[in-house]
Parts: sequence; C-alpha cells; structure tokens
Amino acid sequence: MTADFLPVWPPAANSFALFGLLLLAGLLGGRVAATTRVLPAITGYILTGFILGPGVLDWLTEDALNDARIFADISLGLIVFELGRRLDIVWARHDRWLLPTGLAESLLSFAAMFALLRYFDVPALEAAVASTIGIATAPAVVLLVAAELKAEGPATRRALWHVALNNIVAMLGVALLLPFVEARVAGAPWHPIARALWLLAGSFLLGYVAFRVARTLARFVGKSDASQFILMVGMIVLTVGAAQVGKLSVLLALLVMGVCARNLDPERRLIDIRFGHAARLFFVVLFVLTGATLRPDQFGTVAWLGLAFALVRLVGKAVALFAFARPARVSINQAATLTLALTPMAGLSIGMTQPIFDIAPEFGAHLAGIVASGIAILSVLGPIATRYALIKSGEGEPGERD
Amino acid sequence: MPTLDFTQSKPLTFGVELEIQLVNTRDFNLAPDADDLLRRAAKDEGAGELKPEITQSMIEINSSVHERYEPLLAELRATRDNLAAHARQMNVAIAGGGTHPFQKWRDRKIYPKERFLDVSEKYGFLAKQFTVFGQHVHIGVASADDAIYLTHALVRYLPHFIALGASSPFYQGVDTAFDSSRLSVVNAFPLSGTMPFVSDWASFNEYFDTMYDLGIVKSMKDFYWDVRPKPEFGTVEIRVVDTPLTVNRAAQIAAYAQALARRLLAERVDWITPELYLAHSYNRFQACRHGLAGTIVDPQTRRSIPLADDIRNTLRELAPHAAALESSGALERLTTLTLADGNDATWLRKVYAETRTLPDVVRRQAARWMGEA
Repeated sequence: MTADFLPVWPPAANSFALFGLLLLAGLLGGRVAATTRVLPAITGYILTGFILGPGVLDWLTEDALNDARIFADISLGLIVFELGRRLDIVWARHDRWLLPTGLAESLLSFAAMFALLRYFDVPALEAAVASTIGIATAPAVVLLVAAELKAEGPATRRALWHVALNNIVAMLGVALLLPFVEARVAGAPWHPIARALWLLAGSFLLGYVAFRVARTLARFVGKSDASQFILMVGMIVLTVGAAQVGKLSVLLALLVMGVCARNLDPERRLIDIRFGHAARLFFVVLFVLTGATLRPDQFGTVAWLGLAFALVRLVGKAVALFAFARPARVSINQAATLTLALTPMAGLSIGMTQPIFDIAPEFGAHLAGIVASGIAILSVLGPIATRYALIKSGEGEPGERD
Repeated sequence: MPTLDFTQSKPLTFGVELEIQLVNTRDFNLAPDADDLLRRAAKDEGAGELKPEITQSMIEINSSVHERYEPLLAELRATRDNLAAHARQMNVAIAGGGTHPFQKWRDRKIYPKERFLDVSEKYGFLAKQFTVFGQHVHIGVASADDAIYLTHALVRYLPHFIALGASSPFYQGVDTAFDSSRLSVVNAFPLSGTMPFVSDWASFNEYFDTMYDLGIVKSMKDFYWDVRPKPEFGTVEIRVVDTPLTVNRAAQIAAYAQALARRLLAERVDWITPELYLAHSYNRFQACRHGLAGTIVDPQTRRSIPLADDIRNTLRELAPHAAALESSGALERLTTLTLADGNDATWLRKVYAETRTLPDVVRRQAARWMGEA
C-alpha cells in the first residue's frame, strides 16, 4: 500500500514555489544592497540571481529559469509600455535638437562599439549585431532606479525619452540584421526577409491594435484608477501573449503600444496609471532572473574586451550628448547626468535578442561569447551609474526608498 | 534697531507678482523644474523678472511698474508666451490656479536657497504645504502715511479680490467646497492675518520695532498679511488673490485694485475703525468659501449684502476712475464675470464635471494659461 496522499520526497518545485522563492530571495538581496547606501536595490536583485543561478550555487537550474521566463516577459511588457509612454513626439517638435541628439547618441555609440569589435577581428555580422544591441539602454534599470529614488525633473525626463528612442533604434536595427543572421543559417534569402518584415510590421500592428482596443475599453471602464489599472495590466499581459503566439517582438509591440498611448490619445482616455507595488513583484523576479543568466567566467578571461566594449559605448553616447548640449540648451551637468543614466545595458537572453536565439542558437551563443563580459560588467556598474547620476543631479533622493 | 524707510513711489503706478505652477505633461502633477526653467530664461531680454519660490515646482513672475492697464497686460502676455515656449522645449506645462488640484505636499522639494531653507526650518511641514500660488498686486503711494491709510481702507474690499480671483477649489485631491482654499493654507502661519490697527507710519514703525525686539520678525517679509505696506517699493501690496487661470484676468484684477486705490486716495474715507476688522474675518471666510455667491456684512451700514452685488456696485462707482486710468474695458469684463461667467473656481469645477479626473482639469487649465484654449 502506498501513501499516495503524501507529497513525493524530495518535493518538486513548481512555478508557484519558484515565483515565491525568487521574490523572497530578491527582496532580501535588495535589502542588503540598500544597507550599503551606494547600491540600488536592483543590484541586490541581480546579485541574488547570480549567486542562486547556474553560475554559482545552481539552485536555479536552467529548467527553472525557463519556467520563470513568463514572469520576466510580463514585467518587461509592463516596463516597455511604461517607457513608451515617456516618448512624447510633440516634445521633439518643440525641442528640435531632441531627436537629432537621440539619433546621434545611438549611432555614435554603435559606431564606437562596431569599430572596437572589428579592430579585434570580430566578424562583421557578429560585430554589427552586438553593437546594435549595445545601442539600447536597459529600460527596466533606468525606470526602476528612477522610481526607487522618486527621481523627477529635466534630466530624468530627457533620459527616459532617450532610453525609449535608443530601444526603438536598437529593436529596428536587430530586426534589419536578422535576415542576414538567418541567411547564414538557412541560406535562403527570401524567407528571412519575410520573417523580418513580419516581425517588424506585425509587432507595430499588434502594438497599435492593442492600444486601440485598450482605448475603446477605457471608454466603457471610465477613468477610475483601479479599473484602468486592471485594464492596462490585462491588455499588456494579453499583448505579451499575442506577441509570443504570433512570434512577434514582445518588446517592440509593447513599446509601440506605450508610444501610441502617449501620442494618439489627446483626450487622455487612458489615464496615467502607476503600476506600484503589484508590478514591483514582477520587477524583482525580472532582475533575479537577469542575474541568474550571468556566469562568473564572464567577469574573468575576456573581461578586458567587455570593459573596452562598455567604455567605448559610454564614450559614443557621451560625445553625442555633450556635443548637442549647447544648441539644445541642455546644461553640462544635465549632459553628464544623461550620459551616466544611459549606461545600463540589457542582458542578452531576455528581451530583444530572443529572436536571434530562436533562429540561430549557435550564432546567439557566439554572440554571447563576444559581449557577455561587457554585459556582465554593465549589469553591475550600470544601475550604480544611473543611481549616482540621478542623485547627483538633485532629481532623485537617496533617502526616499520605499 | 532697524527703522523702516519708506521709498517714495509715483502714486497709482502698479505692478503684479504671479506665482505659477510647473506641471509635467504625463500625469499633470507638479514638476520640479523651476531651476531649469529659470536657467533657460535667464538670458532672455524684456520678458519680465523671474524668481524661484518656496518649492521646486513654482516660479514667480514680476511685472515691471506700470501706469496703465494695457501695457501691463501686454507685458504679462509677452512673459507668458516666452515662458510657454521654454516650457514646451522642456516638455512641461505651466498653469495658473491658486492650488494644484491633486499634488501631495509631502512630495514637494524645498528650493535650495537660504531664505526658503530658513522658512522650512522654521515652519516644518507648513513650508511644503505653502506650495500654493497667489497673485500680489502692488499699488504705488506718495507717502508712508498714505500706505497705512490705503492698507486699512483696502481691507473693506479684500473679499472682492478673493472672490474675483478665486481659483483653488481643489486641494490635495478633493473638492474643498471652497472657491479659494489657498488662503486657508496661509492662515496656518503665525504671522498671517492683517496689519494691527495703527494710525500712521510712526506708530507702525513702533509696532515693527517691538516685534523685532521680541525676536519675532527680521523684516517685512515675515508678515504674511492679506494686505501690507511694502516700504522697499513704496507700495501697498494686496496678497489675497489666487493666481488666476489667465494673465488677462490677472491684469483685470490689478486694474480693479488701481481704480479702487485711486478712489480711496481721492475720497479719504471716514469708516476706518476697528469694526472694519471685526467684519473682515467673517467676510473673508464668506468670499473664500462661497466665492461670488458669498454674503458679506458691510461694517458701515451693518447690513448683509450679496458679495456679487457689492462688487458690481463698487465697479459702477469706479467707472470715472477707470476711465481716467484707461481701464474701463477691464472693469467691464469683471462686471460680466460677476453677472454671468463666474470666477475661475466655477470654470475648474465645470471642467471637472465634464472630465471626471483632476489630471484632466490640470491639462485644461495649463492649456488655458499657455494660451492654447
């Protein structure tokens, strides 16, 4: 007779237990980071993930990480939607230097990273993809550090605008390079192009449609905070799901949805909702997972190339931001704040590079080998740089943690 | 012992100070952008004087000294257009209104300037709560004694200014049921209220010296009175007006003050008695609470009278003075307001009834101030 009413031993982890454990571990890591008075809570989440992940303790196995991807996708969806809402196109009409500054910042940092990688004999396509990914500032890091410090003001506003733009530029860039990556794998040129077109056009369309649906629903739902919160979370999660089913870019679709919400809703039927504590849950999990993808060796052998990569990226951004500061009437202090705030770089395995891994896992692995150390270094230094910049500018207050 | 020297100024010249709100264009909460706006506007010429205020989301516009209504209005409009252009480049908006409808005072940041840091140190949470926005009207007077006389005489009419300018029905996210909730915030300060019942400049100086000796005040700036003499400028300053939603209204209210001062200085009224002050706190409350629909007590006749009627009567009596000062149009506009349109508080409540959200109200009030609606 078997006691089948008893749980099996050892107990198998399920998604609920995993989600809970990631949260609690992240929370503790965040607290430890907070006590340093230098590190943002995000660094604590990332380090927690790093320690628990396959790189060190291996409590979070690859399988567990894959199980938890859904949480990361939802939180990234919330974040890029929020980021899209910062991209006010009317602003670029009134401040004519805003868009040129943003494009220059993206292109110069691309050129600097590409030149570096080519100098070290990285093949052109790998170098181009890596440098395109490097254009983007990690949206989650900047938004969450800003939220943690309650940062608000001219530099924070401008920084978030540039983050939104450089993410769009990077996403478009990756989509354009995708056919070349795929051509190398499959060798058939027409099919990859169709895929890139599908990816781009489909994601734009999905984002736009999601916005229209949300706006229509908002008419019925009314303008209460609570109802619109549920409406937006529902729409965002639905869009994440639709993008996955349609093999589209989750990030691009949600970013487009956010940009539409900001710019195509003159009567503001969609109110500006704060995701607050509920969303913070997902963000903690997102960063613990980000940390879990890091490996100790990424900080070791090829770290010097990663360091150089991170450095030239920073220089490329700085040159553009400082060069355009005077005509844009941005003060030197603000330019410095912007440069540092744009430092964080998103991890490879989550977000915009996912299509590359899906299409060409080997290329993806090769790519990861090239820039992983840069990403590892920036995952640690990026949030610290952003936090420092926002505090130094006077727009964020270190004491105001919540 | 400091003696307050009263600078002479040309009688009936006038000017205004307007405290205005900086708001973001995302959720229309207050935006801490005063520093950046002041930096960008610092090199502009002829756009009025700009100053920081107690917290980072406020700035103060000071007009030049004017003799006539039209040039004052033209200057305020030019200043507004210039500031609006800067604001658009910064992706912020500028709004009038005596309070921001839903900002939370604890989120405010004190502007890092010695005087404001002192105020914050001295008054604690009141300093951040002082993120309210007023219009001050200065009227030039020939002598210090005239300043004392006019300060007293204007007390009778302060409810008019409160009701005409009232634009702060919403505060901290709720409809306060007041037309001007801003003045209740000012009431919390120990040196708010009105000037004591002194008869001339010499006795005012005695009073000031006593307060100085007691260590209660250091300068005239420490008195947050509804109306006060301003010896540095040689003016009397009316401080009860909420910043209106448009610069046009601000100029009209200033023109009303100028015409009223012209009459009071010419007629030398005989009803300045302590009773005036007994009625004032009641009348002031009526104007704050009910706006133009309030009922005040006339200390002279001892009768109750609807505030709107009292204003219209006064406007009628001022017609010859307005004509002499070339501001008849402005005063006629105020008459229409008391008859039909209602004040800015009425407009704000109407917008809220349409839109049902306070961020929408701020969006519309900013569009109005910036001249887009």
